[in-house]
Amino acid sequence: MTIPSTHLLIQTIILGVLVGGVYALMSSGLTLIFGVMRVINVAHGAFLILGAYCTYWLFQLAGVDPILSIALTAPLLFLIGWVVQRYILSRIENPEQASVLVTFALAVTMEGLMGTFWKTTLRSVKPDYATEVIKFATYRFPVTRLAGFGAALLVLLLLYLVLQRTNLGRAIRATIQDRNAAQLVGVNIQMVAALTFGIGIATAAAGGSLLSMIYSFNSSSQTDWITRVLSIIVLGGMGSLPGALVAALILGVMEQLTAVMITLYWSPIVFYIFLFLTLIVRPQGLMGEKVREKA
Amino acid sequence: MKPSRVPAVIWMSGLLAALLVFPLVQRSQYYQHVMVMTMMAAVLASSWNIIGGYAGYTSLGHAAFFGLGGYLVALAHNHFGWHPFISTWFLGIVVMGVALILGWISLRTHGSAFVVVTIAMVFIFRIVALNLASITNGARGLTQPRPGWGGVPWSPELIKIPFHYIMLALLCLTVFASWRVRQSKFGLGLIAIREDEGKAEAVGIDTMLYKVLAFGLSAYFVGVAGGIYSYFFTYIDPQFIFDIFTGVTMVLIAILGGRGTLWGPVLGAFIMEPLGNWVIGVFGGTQIHLAVFGGILLAVMLFMPQGILPALTEFVKRRAKAPAAGRRSQSA
Repeated sequence: MTIPSTHLLIQTIILGVLVGGVYALMSSGLTLIFGVMRVINVAHGAFLILGAYCTYWLFQLAGVDPILSIALTAPLLFLIGWVVQRYILSRIENPEQASVLVTFALAVTMEGLMGTFWKTTLRSVKPDYATEVIKFATYRFPVTRLAGFGAALLVLLLLYLVLQRTNLGRAIRATIQDRNAAQLVGVNIQMVAALTFGIGIATAAAGGSLLSMIYSFNSSSQTDWITRVLSIIVLGGMGSLPGALVAALILGVMEQLTAVMITLYWSPIVFYIFLFLTLIVRPQGLMGEKVREKA
Repeated sequence: MKPSRVPAVIWMSGLLAALLVFPLVQRSQYYQHVMVMTMMAAVLASSWNIIGGYAGYTSLGHAAFFGLGGYLVALAHNHFGWHPFISTWFLGIVVMGVALILGWISLRTHGSAFVVVTIAMVFIFRIVALNLASITNGARGLTQPRPGWGGVPWSPELIKIPFHYIMLALLCLTVFASWRVRQSKFGLGLIAIREDEGKAEAVGIDTMLYKVLAFGLSAYFVGVAGGIYSYFFTYIDPQFIFDIFTGVTMVLIAILGGRGTLWGPVLGAFIMEPLGNWVIGVFGGTQIHLAVFGGILLAVMLFMPQGILPALTEFVKRRAKAPAAGRRSQSA
């Protein structure tokens, strides 16, 4: 283990925060879906990669900027998510038990189809500014990560506004708090679930678009990503949006610090170690409420 | 012996006899290979069933114990010359010890969170195996000498046969253990935990102890199977043996056959494993194979969530009831 200089330490934390913002976007949809539907969407990683491939295609075929392409990929994946919820997930009888396996099956199917379609070559989107770096007071800010962070914040802000200011948002929050009570006051749970799933998948699409220019990916990368975002939402407390944001930033920074202080190879393990430690100390996660056993 | 037990004893002896003579009758290396893998799948699914079926805790992380067993056996073979056919039974106990510790941590979570934690477990093991290169040889993996006994390698035509019999022995042991658990107060406690953990605790079951023990026991057979597997292939690497799909396949098989039943996982294995080999044979390439595998899993979860065996039992029961109901309506 090497102790870095203060300068390197701050630089590392900057990179960690930038990456953490993108993680926050990626995990926001997952925790929202869990909150509303009690479904762990294990296919979230596959949707991220699907979003990344759509961005890759738009960039290669039409030269669309990866960040601007969110405007296209998010609506497209919103539709796909809506259909998946409406015709597959809504048929599950016991979502808390069976959803993991159903969405896992979906993830595997998607991985296989994407692998067949786009082959297994590692891809990444390289816009003109891919290698540019902005320097500020001797600290380096890679443009793709900075832009990714900014875009992630923007999408999260949009999500926040939808949740706080619209009727749909109120219905979603009501459903998270108390499903039966929400239904009693006239919330159409089925509709809310389908729209929430759509929104969740749309945020995954946005996350995927950003992923495509920061990391290289192929169809099997979905397993790496799903474990990362799952660790984040468990650490943050499942169903808690603020928890997911805090956990994403913590893990982003921890991951970068491990990469600098130990080695790059060990850095992914940070997620899982953190996950286990959290469970020993605080099984409900950072901001999760203690789930009451069913009566 | 109860009369209802007699047919069960007959068909079990029949199955055992068929498996005993299989490699003597079927000389094709390919089918012998598929049979070893099928019996291994039955071991894994039956073993998983102890925690996943009886206690209702869906672990997707048993691949971690499978891989750990594989690595321990391979290392003991290469460094100390311990023969895998013997060492795997003892090293399985080490795997069980690790599982008891991990279970003690992870079984604090319930439902979906537990599933996530067990997924993470597999990745921790994989990263450790990749990075502790001085012991595990990292991504390049470990190779064992060609299978044999007392320094004499077995001839290539007969090489599957010893593996057939050791896997059969392990399968018998696993099913026997699963049966004993089911018959015992311990098993009853596990089922109570599955049905309602709060109430199980209220009636005086030490739920944490029960769950951790079930987790450890179910890891033992998986670890032993991993040890045999690493010798069967003589080569393991972290990507290959700490594979999340290994864990998911056991779950799929157990659910397909009938989760929480004694014979369901075995039935599921004898359907799924040959089917999987057929899919690979027909479609070739791994990517399409993945999509088909996912599609089957999806279909099973949507249309047959309780599994084949419970569905069959219900069908038979209904058939048995129907004539009786018919008679009553005639006499009325």
